[in-house]
Amino acid sequence: MISFEFFGILILSVVLYWIIPRQSLRNLLLILASFAFIYLLDQWSIAVVAGLSLVSYFFGILIEKHPKRSLIHACGVVFVLGVLIAFKYLGFLSGIFNSLAGFINALPQFEIRKLLLPLGISYIVFKHISYLTDIKWGLIKPGRFIDFLLYSSLFTIFVAGPIERFENFKPQVEQSRLPFSWCNIDYGFMRIVFGMFKKLILADWIGYFISPIWENLHHYGQWIRLLALLGYSFQIYFDFAGYSDIAIGSSRLFGIKIMENFNNPYLAPNISQFWRRWHISLSNWIKDYLFFPLSKISNKRLWQIFFVPVIAMALCGLWHGASWHFMLWGLWHGLGLSALQIWNQYKRKHKQLGKATKSKWFNYAGIAMNFCFVTLGWWWFR
Amino acid sequence: MKEKLIEFIRDEFLDEPDTEITENTKLISSGMIDSFSLVSLQAFIQQEFGKRIPAPRITAESFDTVKQMIEVIKQF
Repeated sequence: MISFEFFGILILSVVLYWIIPRQSLRNLLLILASFAFIYLLDQWSIAVVAGLSLVSYFFGILIEKHPKRSLIHACGVVFVLGVLIAFKYLGFLSGIFNSLAGFINALPQFEIRKLLLPLGISYIVFKHISYLTDIKWGLIKPGRFIDFLLYSSLFTIFVAGPIERFENFKPQVEQSRLPFSWCNIDYGFMRIVFGMFKKLILADWIGYFISPIWENLHHYGQWIRLLALLGYSFQIYFDFAGYSDIAIGSSRLFGIKIMENFNNPYLAPNISQFWRRWHISLSNWIKDYLFFPLSKISNKRLWQIFFVPVIAMALCGLWHGASWHFMLWGLWHGLGLSALQIWNQYKRKHKQLGKATKSKWFNYAGIAMNFCFVTLGWWWFR
Repeated sequence: MKEKLIEFIRDEFLDEPDTEITENTKLISSGMIDSFSLVSLQAFIQQEFGKRIPAPRITAESFDTVKQMIEVIKQF
């Protein structure tokens, strides 16, 4: 994202964008700029973005008009998830199958070559699932295809999010003309500068010091390893928060407001609050389209308290990458959320404990404990 | 509707049931109720008022106070 291509296209398109008088032509310019950016990074991804957008939009129209909207919605979601699985998880799944086949000799072995992973596929698929589901729930209309294509491909948020919702995006780009404002340019520029500082100065410098340790962990003692883990905890935060700042700032240069993605997550007093502050667009997505639907499967306490958070967060982990270590990271957080739920219920039964936990010192202890928990979790993520 | 919501929230989610809740008390952003509780709250609203509120409407911004909850419920 921090590349000559990105900033070259950004500067050129911002200038042209504000010269063009009509919003529909501006949107077209942004689509062309986005496709140019994607083409420069990975030609193959253009076909995936265009094809997926076309099919998802078609499903969106069908969901809106067809009486069996739940069925059409299910087909649409299966299709977009199928695309994600085919490109991202087929190699991983075939590995699991082959391991099982190793135990059971009667099963054949499969050799599946890993397909080329299209750029931004995880983000675009989540955006499309929210689009289709929000239409089904009656929260949005399918809108115009050009607006949806822009939503799918906008280069400022294409590679690293945030996972914006069509509901917030559409009203901004379907106006007859977004008004020019120096405040937006000023704000956008400042966010980009802050983002660059977080990414290039803080994250990359921390990385410069800790990378040699991570590459030769067995050469170092446990305290140095812990220091490397602590460093990684800050590196990944500044890295990702920096990218989000650049994405939000770049979008604002076009007058488009994108949702915030981070809000001092390491100051959260518990793991539930952490997920309301870390990668907010993803955690909101998980809450809306995974956590709530999963919770409705069963009213049993074990399901609600244990299985729902663990399954939701394991899938959240897998979304980050097709590998066991991402899933373990997700499981770690799922177990944390589950433990918090049990603790909250215990507090409700013991009122004196509830009063004691209201003190500010308990809050500080919560922040410290939560930071340690999250930092330990990064061990699997890396 | 207001009384029923306040009673449910106080009984189900609060550590101290004596805590005073008004229609403007911030519940989600203050950490009084968490994501887990929101699922039960959604189920309660559906059961009690016959309104199914989609999850994207249940956020700290739009569902933070009882007053906001009533406004959202009325939209559906």
